[in-house]
Amino acid sequence: MATTPVVSRPPLWRDVRVRRVAIQVAVLAGVVALFAYLYDNLRANERALGIDGSYDFLDQQAGFRIAYTDFSPGDTVLNAILTGLRNTLAVSLVGIVLTLVVGTVVGIARLSSNWVVRKAAGVYVETLRNLPPLLVIVFVNSAGLSALPTIEDATDIGGFLVLSVRQIGIAIPRGDGHGGLYLALLVAAVVAALALGRWRRAVEERTGRPARAWTLGVTLVAVVAMAGYVALDAPMVLSRPEVVGRRVEGGTIMSLPFAAVLVGLVLYTSSHVAEIVRGAILAVPKGQTEAATALGLSPGQRLRHVVLPQAFRIAVPPIINQFLNLTKNTSLGVAVAYPEAMYVTNTVIGNGNPAIQSILVVMGLYLVVSLAISLVSNLANWRLRLVER
Amino acid sequence: MLAVLSLLGSACSDDDASGDRGQQAQGGDGGGSLLEEVRDRGTLNCGVNDAVPGFGVVDDEGNYSGFDIEFCRVVAAAVLGDADAVEFTPLDAETRFTALQSGEIDVLIRNTTFTAQRDGAEGARFLQTTFYDGQGMMVRADSGFRSIDDMDDTNICVLAGTTTELNLATRFGDAGLAYEPLTFDDADAIQEAFINGQCDGWTSDLSQLAGVRSAFPESEGGPEALTIFDEAFSKEPLGPVVRDGDDDWADAVNWAVISTMLAEEFDITQDNLDQMLESDNADIRRLLGQPVEAEEGAEPEPFDPGVGLEPTFVVDVIEQVGNYGEIYDRTVGADSDLQLERGLNAQWQDGGLLYAPPYR
Repeated sequence: MATTPVVSRPPLWRDVRVRRVAIQVAVLAGVVALFAYLYDNLRANERALGIDGSYDFLDQQAGFRIAYTDFSPGDTVLNAILTGLRNTLAVSLVGIVLTLVVGTVVGIARLSSNWVVRKAAGVYVETLRNLPPLLVIVFVNSAGLSALPTIEDATDIGGFLVLSVRQIGIAIPRGDGHGGLYLALLVAAVVAALALGRWRRAVEERTGRPARAWTLGVTLVAVVAMAGYVALDAPMVLSRPEVVGRRVEGGTIMSLPFAAVLVGLVLYTSSHVAEIVRGAILAVPKGQTEAATALGLSPGQRLRHVVLPQAFRIAVPPIINQFLNLTKNTSLGVAVAYPEAMYVTNTVIGNGNPAIQSILVVMGLYLVVSLAISLVSNLANWRLRLVER
Repeated sequence: MLAVLSLLGSACSDDDASGDRGQQAQGGDGGGSLLEEVRDRGTLNCGVNDAVPGFGVVDDEGNYSGFDIEFCRVVAAAVLGDADAVEFTPLDAETRFTALQSGEIDVLIRNTTFTAQRDGAEGARFLQTTFYDGQGMMVRADSGFRSIDDMDDTNICVLAGTTTELNLATRFGDAGLAYEPLTFDDADAIQEAFINGQCDGWTSDLSQLAGVRSAFPESEGGPEALTIFDEAFSKEPLGPVVRDGDDDWADAVNWAVISTMLAEEFDITQDNLDQMLESDNADIRRLLGQPVEAEEGAEPEPFDPGVGLEPTFVVDVIEQVGNYGEIYDRTVGADSDLQLERGLNAQWQDGGLLYAPPYR
């Protein structure tokens, strides 16, 4: 090209590139100015009220107890809030696992060819999804768990489950003597079984002989488990819950407020997850199912090998959102006296500590937890996308 | 959260509050007293609670009633001669002292406990205690507990309050008792937890426990099914509060309140006020502002102690509101739903703590 075409540049205020940057800078400046204004206002109001705005109170004695924890009145305010955060995390993590299981099952059930199963799952989803989570928690607490027998008349189901209106105890295996060694042995057996399965599958691809990976793996683990149990002289015992005085001891114990928050949030959040799962399955192109059928795969194989792996990738980002929602909704535990972070912060404020600083602290903690869950989930999502073909 | 938002959002109108306070601190010793200001204005601004049954509640039509409300009316009757000349401002626990310091209200009568820190750091002045309360414990009558010391290894339902958890921890910690606290914001939620057996005990201020007990559902055995221990493990003297540094105003409010107690001591009621005005008893005549002989043979004239109120202010108070006992019975005592015993709030002759200074 001999001549450079003369590009007539539009005036600055109409230049798209300039405008794009300018708008972003303006928005950023606006946001910064807004926060600066709010912060300035906060400080001015604090000064007018004679509030010093320091965080020294975090190191002072809290002076109160937190139910079903070993937090004592002599511990610091910061420890109180962290104890609350631990309760928040406990109910969130158990809740996330249960939500994923229940939500997936219900989501698949909504697509079942069985009319009863399909409709039952539909009612489950449409009812719970359209209620406020607070209502679900309070309902679970008032209409369900509150009807449990008092601690004096606690129901004991075969020594495996103790139900009372204060605590619920569930029997769990617990290490005894060589428990740690036994556990290590089991883990080693599982790893070995996985390696075995991999090798067998490779053989199957090479030679066409059936892999029998599951049969071999399960047999290996079972043999190791039994042999180890005998060799190490009964390293695991079943810890059974029982009522001692006015509390439940042994096994793993849930307080009633914990159970109310957990069940309420799992019911609520799993209804959303079920819809996501159903939507993701429907989003897998129909041709995939038809192709799988043409290959002669059974309905179960079709779901397991073709549909679910693809649906999973579609479902992950919105499900992560639901995990975050569940974590944040644990703050509704206040209503049923579950001492999570927000509840403890309310107590801290009620007992004469500065409200503003306390709330800023707990806001910061929630932010850290939410961002951490986002990070872990996004890493999982990223990993899934890498293997996508 | 709300606290943060209100602080973030509200304009800086409170900025000059500390300046105001400084001026009022000097304003007490001559001119510029809130007493003059209230008289000029013609109404009393009273900061109250609007959600504690018996003490301060507001109905659908915006009418306030309760024990604390009656004392706002007492002050208005004494200062302005009209018990209805009151503007009520509902306040929550966090904003009450700010409202007092900024001059939004003239007097705070909102079940506020007299403590050293509030007297000092909050720049508030506490006057004659109108109600002696304390944190107590309520259990089921058939629970077998006779006192708090029996309550080792129990669950305690706590009504969230300003220092409820701290008092509970101190009481149980001192006695070496193990317990699990379940704190609820809302009395209905506690009642449910208590009824279904989540808690062995229920702690709150004794006056509030009495309110709950009186309304305990018949299906659960009614009030008889519950026992409130006599022990109070915190001291909660509740009374009117004014700003520091305005002695004229403080005197006027204080004596308005004291006059209701004196009137009860002398058996002056709304019903017998007219006869009492004719009484020969010098104490009664002085209190009601009727002419008395200051000394033997002197010309009789109304007694004026110089607290800044009309000599006959007690007549207005009794006529329009009533004496302490009448206020108590009507709002929280025998004639109310709460059915509170007089207890600590009885006159000193009856073994209570009401010991009003003499009016002479």
